[in-house]
Amino acid sequence: MLLALRDVGKAWHIARTGERVLALQAITLDVAAGEFLILLGPSGCGKSTLLQIMAGLEAPSSGAIEFPTPTGGGKLTSMVFQEYALFPWRTVLANVAFGPEVRGVPRREREERARRLIDLVNLRGAETRYPHELSGGMRQRVALARALANDPQILLFDEPLAALDAQTRRVMQDELLRIWAETGKTFVYVTHSLQEAVLLGTRIVLMTAGPGRIKRVEEVTLPRPRHLTGRAEAALLDRLDALLGEEVQRAMAS
Amino acid sequence: MTASHWRQLASVAGLLLAWQILVQAGRINPLFLPAPLSVLGAMWEMTRSGELPWAVLVSLNRVLQGFVYGSLAGVVLGLLAGAVRWVEDLLDPWVAAVYPIPKSALFPLFMLWFGLGNPSKIVTIAVGVLFLVLVNTMAGVHAINPVLLKAARDLGASRAQIFVKVILPGALPSIFTGLRLGAGMALILVFITEIEATKAGLGFLLWEAFQLMDTRHVFVGVVTFGLLGVATTWLLQWLERVTCPWIQRSN
Repeated sequence: MLLALRDVGKAWHIARTGERVLALQAITLDVAAGEFLILLGPSGCGKSTLLQIMAGLEAPSSGAIEFPTPTGGGKLTSMVFQEYALFPWRTVLANVAFGPEVRGVPRREREERARRLIDLVNLRGAETRYPHELSGGMRQRVALARALANDPQILLFDEPLAALDAQTRRVMQDELLRIWAETGKTFVYVTHSLQEAVLLGTRIVLMTAGPGRIKRVEEVTLPRPRHLTGRAEAALLDRLDALLGEEVQRAMAS
Repeated sequence: MTASHWRQLASVAGLLLAWQILVQAGRINPLFLPAPLSVLGAMWEMTRSGELPWAVLVSLNRVLQGFVYGSLAGVVLGLLAGAVRWVEDLLDPWVAAVYPIPKSALFPLFMLWFGLGNPSKIVTIAVGVLFLVLVNTMAGVHAINPVLLKAARDLGASRAQIFVKVILPGALPSIFTGLRLGAGMALILVFITEIEATKAGLGFLLWEAFQLMDTRHVFVGVVTFGLLGVATTWLLQWLERVTCPWIQRSN
């Protein structure tokens, strides 16, 4: 086990109205080494907030987050953002090398590592380009390489493919699976897409609409490659669809 | 050259030619509007005599010092105010109070405090440049996408590293906007501060010519100011291209 959430809750104070809004409630969840964990839920269920708490970018309002395995000084998590969050003034190489750079890795070593990762995400030849010269899919590959450069044990993905067109998204899903298998890293992946959850996950955590709670955890043992038209996949899809549908209804009613 | 370039050239050449002909034909009194060629001739004489280059040097010295001090202070304060809340709180009321004052209106005060020589002129220019650069730098910092700061933090950057590696380059395009506006302001202010209590500089040359009703030399001053304006714009554009190669430019 790499990371454990114990009864985690998160509340936001809205300054304008003085209200206290509960975003997350009673989240207890273990992240196991090597899994592809999907956090699935309707918009506004707090799944992105949960990811930020795992990244240490937000503090939980209640409960605790535990890291049972010592990380040996390295970073436990790295985040891949939906809007890529690449530094526009840095080339692909300099973007990927940012993490090692701020951690004091010597130039030769960090650039070598960055080149290796740029190869891994199939971007060889784009090292000297700037982000605005890349397509959306290429940008997300850079973001993935940049997150990998700190050699984290867990990669956190916040709807990384949501801004891409359908064709590119399909390609990137396969790429993510390949890189997950090649690197042996643990992936925690936020999405609101049922199809993505079924295609990618080894475990799917379905969340309720605000406040976000865990509604159901599904182990997915289906063999790969998976196809949405396969019988077992379709059955899982139907089951999740019904559960998610209830939450979308609830979210719209409230 | 494209058709568009030709039309632009034709527009300038046509107007200058018509102007020259109308003056030579006696339709325009050269006391009000001297012919282009006679202005050019005057410029050449004043360049050969050293009068014009000296005036330009004297003014450029004031402009450059004022611009450098003003923009350095503006960039540093702007970055700090944009990045650190309490610095912004301390600066905000002063920016709100002083920004709308025409900086030329402060010149008499600065003469009172710093004397009639170069320092009062340089301070006036510096203050004019400072506020333009400061306001644009702050706007540049505020316009940085917050997700970039989050990403930098997630990748392990310290606050100081975020300041140098994210906030500074992120604000750079806006800083250059401030510098361009500041350079224009510096030229305006150098002219105003050279009207009174001075014996050298391009503004002095122009104003003295006006008082002698020597319109040719007034035009020499106007044209030279224009050339200085064009040169500073080019210089800053070049500097921006070199330091910000990532900025997408049309054409």
